[in-house]
Amino acid sequence: MKLEFLAPQTLQDAVTMAKARGGAARFIAGGTDLIIQARKSGAWPEAVINLQQIPGFGEIKGTGPNFSLGSLVTHRQIEREIRFAGALEALRESACVIGGHQVRNVATVGGNLCNASPAADMVPILLCLNAEVALAGSEGRRVVPLANFIEGPRKTVRASDEVMTEIAFAAPAQKFSSTFLKGGRRRAMEISIVAMAGVVSASPDGKMTDVRLAMGAAGPKAIRLTEAEKFLEGKVLSKDVLEETGMLAAAAASPIDDVRASASFRRHLAGVYARRVVELSWNRISELNDDRSAA
Amino acid sequence: MNSPFRVIGKSFPRLDARGKVSGKAIYGTDFAMQGMLHGKLVHSTIASGEILSVEIEEALAMPGVYEVVTAADIPAQRYGSFVKDMEVFASKRVNFVGQPVAAVVARTAEEAEAAAKAVRVEYKEQAAVFTTEDAVKADAPLVHPGWQEYKAVPTVKRQGNITNQARLVLGDVDKALKKSDRVFTHRFVTNIVHPGYTEPRAAIAHWADGKQLHVWSNTQLPFEAQATLAEIFKITPSQVRVNVTVIGGGFGGKLRLGVEHYAAAAALKVGRPVKFVSSCEEEMTAALPRQPLVIDLTTGVTKEGKILAKAASILVDTGATSGSGVGVASSVMLMLAGPYKIPNLRLESRSVYTNKTPTGSFRAPAGPQGNFAVESQMDIIADALGIDPLEFRLRNIVREGDLAPNGQKLESVSLEECLLKAADAIGWKDRRPEPGRGKGIACAWWTTTSGSSGVYVKVGPDGQVFLNTGCAEIGTAALTGAAQVLAEALGVELGSIQIVSGDTASTPFDYGAQGSRTAFAVGNACIDAVGKLHQRMKEIAAKQLSAKPEEIEIENGVAKFGDKSLTLKEIAAIAQTSQGGLIAHGTFIAPPTLHDKERTENMVITAINSPSFHAHAVDLSVDAETGEVKIHDYVVVQDVGRAINPTYIEGQIEGGVVQGIGQALSEEIVYENGIVRNPGLTDYKMPTAMDAPNIRSFIVESPSKVGPYGAKGVGEPPVIHPPATIANAIASAVSARIQTLPITAEKIVRTLTEVSETGK
Ligand SMILES: Cc1cc2nc3c(=O)[nH]c(=O)nc-3n(C[C@H](O)[C@H](O)[C@H](O)COP(=O)(O)OP(=O)(O)OC[C@H]3O[C@@H](n4cnc5c(N)ncnc54)[C@H](O)[C@@H]3O)c2cc1C
Repeated sequence: MKLEFLAPQTLQDAVTMAKARGGAARFIAGGTDLIIQARKSGAWPEAVINLQQIPGFGEIKGTGPNFSLGSLVTHRQIEREIRFAGALEALRESACVIGGHQVRNVATVGGNLCNASPAADMVPILLCLNAEVALAGSEGRRVVPLANFIEGPRKTVRASDEVMTEIAFAAPAQKFSSTFLKGGRRRAMEISIVAMAGVVSASPDGKMTDVRLAMGAAGPKAIRLTEAEKFLEGKVLSKDVLEETGMLAAAAASPIDDVRASASFRRHLAGVYARRVVELSWNRISELNDDRSAA
Repeated sequence: MNSPFRVIGKSFPRLDARGKVSGKAIYGTDFAMQGMLHGKLVHSTIASGEILSVEIEEALAMPGVYEVVTAADIPAQRYGSFVKDMEVFASKRVNFVGQPVAAVVARTAEEAEAAAKAVRVEYKEQAAVFTTEDAVKADAPLVHPGWQEYKAVPTVKRQGNITNQARLVLGDVDKALKKSDRVFTHRFVTNIVHPGYTEPRAAIAHWADGKQLHVWSNTQLPFEAQATLAEIFKITPSQVRVNVTVIGGGFGGKLRLGVEHYAAAAALKVGRPVKFVSSCEEEMTAALPRQPLVIDLTTGVTKEGKILAKAASILVDTGATSGSGVGVASSVMLMLAGPYKIPNLRLESRSVYTNKTPTGSFRAPAGPQGNFAVESQMDIIADALGIDPLEFRLRNIVREGDLAPNGQKLESVSLEECLLKAADAIGWKDRRPEPGRGKGIACAWWTTTSGSSGVYVKVGPDGQVFLNTGCAEIGTAALTGAAQVLAEALGVELGSIQIVSGDTASTPFDYGAQGSRTAFAVGNACIDAVGKLHQRMKEIAAKQLSAKPEEIEIENGVAKFGDKSLTLKEIAAIAQTSQGGLIAHGTFIAPPTLHDKERTENMVITAINSPSFHAHAVDLSVDAETGEVKIHDYVVVQDVGRAINPTYIEGQIEGGVVQGIGQALSEEIVYENGIVRNPGLTDYKMPTAMDAPNIRSFIVESPSKVGPYGAKGVGEPPVIHPPATIANAIASAVSARIQTLPITAEKIVRTLTEVSETGK
């Protein structure tokens, strides 16, 4: 096997190199998806174009409400980002359960999104945050909502010469909190059998508002749970409300049976995690505000 | 505490630590030779069928390829432990997906791998059988249609897919069951798990003059590898030299040949050294995992909680070859009876072929499977009788002088102490501290495998002592333990001992690093060598000090006569110039364990040698909605006879428990029509550091009569109890009694849902 390894120093070069090779070249960031898939399938690209030496894509920017993640930001960076401690905790919670330490040290958020695995753990929370991804290619630049970017399992709207440069999102305007939970057989090195992220805001009169829930690994791609979100708008947390939320989440799941879990167990977990994510997020709002008043 | 020992009982760092932590140790996968080529295997893609043709032309034409080796290149010869049903390459038919059919030899491993894909094998597919229950049916397809032609040890009773039918019988079970107040019958099913060593199996082979085979490999048993290779290539054992490299873990998975035979076959054909290293996928599809068992267990008890009888029917799935499974089918019966006093037993066990991966001797073969059944059922019965599970055990366990199920008299029985200590440490009185939280306990006995050991102990003129053993160090630090025994007995510091091991040409025979025997047996051979060395020292010192040998006294390595003395170093220097050096050949063979042969039929393993006793207890919580299990505390109380090195005993305990937790909760090789669905470490789920709980080890020292300074076998037992201990705690936490391994979250949730739906 011969594999050409290219290391462009600028975004423009990266795009040009990709364009010149048509679909035969692949960008590589951490390589933790690309290399493993190539080894498994035996289908190696003719060339890999390393993005790591292009400056400017390795930073987390913003002080809120607007933030952007450079596409080369590692899960380790997100996991340790102090700006996400508190209301945006779900970002850290999602990042810190990806693989193990070695994986998180090199694997990137851009790779996680571009790889578009139904079980990609960064996707649900970024869907909740209405993230938009910026792409730069031979046809120019464009910004695409993440929800439209991922089309299906390992399928995105990205053209083969387009580099994802950053992921931008804004924190909700009202008092809010977030949670991420995932199910699997062990506590690390685990591909989610169901992943659930939630962002819940509180209206001034103490009701839930602007509730956003997204679920991964329970269908061909991660999705927002719009039925449950609509149902929760303006509700006060109660056992019945959570029960209904769980049922709506389970109904929205279209999981598969595989060696990791059965479809019915995944659906069951979808319900459990939806309830827990809403409940936890809601409780976290008051905890966060208590902390603030104490400080 | 005042210990009478200088070296024994102290946690010295292992003698091979420096090389291992500094990266200098040369493992099997590291080993390389000048002019070496690389080999890769071609595997069967079907579970059962005839080989019609093997097309190698295309592969031979590929870049870097030297040769393609098939069954036609080596003698037609079957080999195996109890039944000779294995062959190096499938010759006429294949019996499992992953079975080696050919090997490609090329300049690089990558070229060999690419060419292996180009070897075209045509099959005529035949009916296959994947479960033991199907395989024992009268009309089942035969995994080995030619089974009758295979040679086998005389003890085994074979029929079709059944490679042995053994029984352990005592008293009158039918009568006793009739007399029982309650009779309980349950089925327990266990999982196929991989030993999970970090280093894959690796070997390099080279033939000198086409006659002398030299192999370097990470085998646990160099002398068995030597014997098997000699058998395969129809040469004498002394024409084979096996050198053991540093080994990245074995756990019984490297007892039998791994890739040595492929390397040897390939090297023979190309006339150059050839290296083979198993890939992760090969490890998961064609290595030697633990046998899965189906155990139907019936127990009769009085309402006061006395066990009157036990009956069992056991099916051992050995996969496509019988391997060690014949032994498992025997030893599981010793596990199923014990460690309890039961007057009536009728245990029946069959080892059975299926068209799946051949199985092996993973750490404590039969231990976890048997223990899961017995100890789960003990709790079920205790609950049904309204007796505390600990109390129920105490009413039935064996004690000093009792007879084991095979009629052997038990000595140094510390089981009650182990159970009570474990219960105390876990806080047994508060067995269900809160909803969703529960504690579990389980106990067992285990054997210390016998077999002979030889060592040469040589003292250099500078006082350096060489411990030369045919036993390999597989990572347990057991040879450091043996060296501690030697240092203690010889009266030297541990630091002055150097270990030379695992070379069939230069080290004396050893039955090898298996069955918890290494420190035990090699240690005893060292003590024997010290006796002989002391005699030589006395003779030499007597001459020097003008005394008679019997007048010389040896104390801490110094020979004394009156106020005159000679050190070991001085004597060794004299010996070197006067009589070819100071050296002794120490040997050991455990005395046979006497038992009642009337009770055992066709059993290939009949005794529990120098038995050790142990109890585990766990405190865990179960999330009833997600099925997630969180272990808060795990306690092990293990009788080791004498703790030669407490740190490495704790190492064995902690490692064993984590491995056992894997079998209990997460690990399983999953098959679909004979094809492994999870042939990699992504979906074969060994516990990670995050999954390993806090483990507290308590060592009990109830000395054995046979072991060095009273030691008993240590390495295997810790892996035995976790499945049962955890199953019992889960049942006590959320009333979900899971009788099939692994106990996944999904099974727990499903069971709880069924319980709440049926109201049971
Ligand atoms: C042991 C292990 C455990 C893992 N566990 C998890 C887990 O728990 N959860 C989880 O979600 N994932 C997990 N993964 C998958 C993987 O680590 C993540 O998806 C990771 O974020 C991928 O990032 P990367 O930088 O390594 O991507 P790469 O492998 O470099 O790239 C992945 C894909 O994206 C493309 N790509 C990468 N960056 C860009 C870019 N900037 N622009 C355009 N295209 C790009 C590549 O061409 C390729 O197709 C695991 C992987 C391993 C090996």
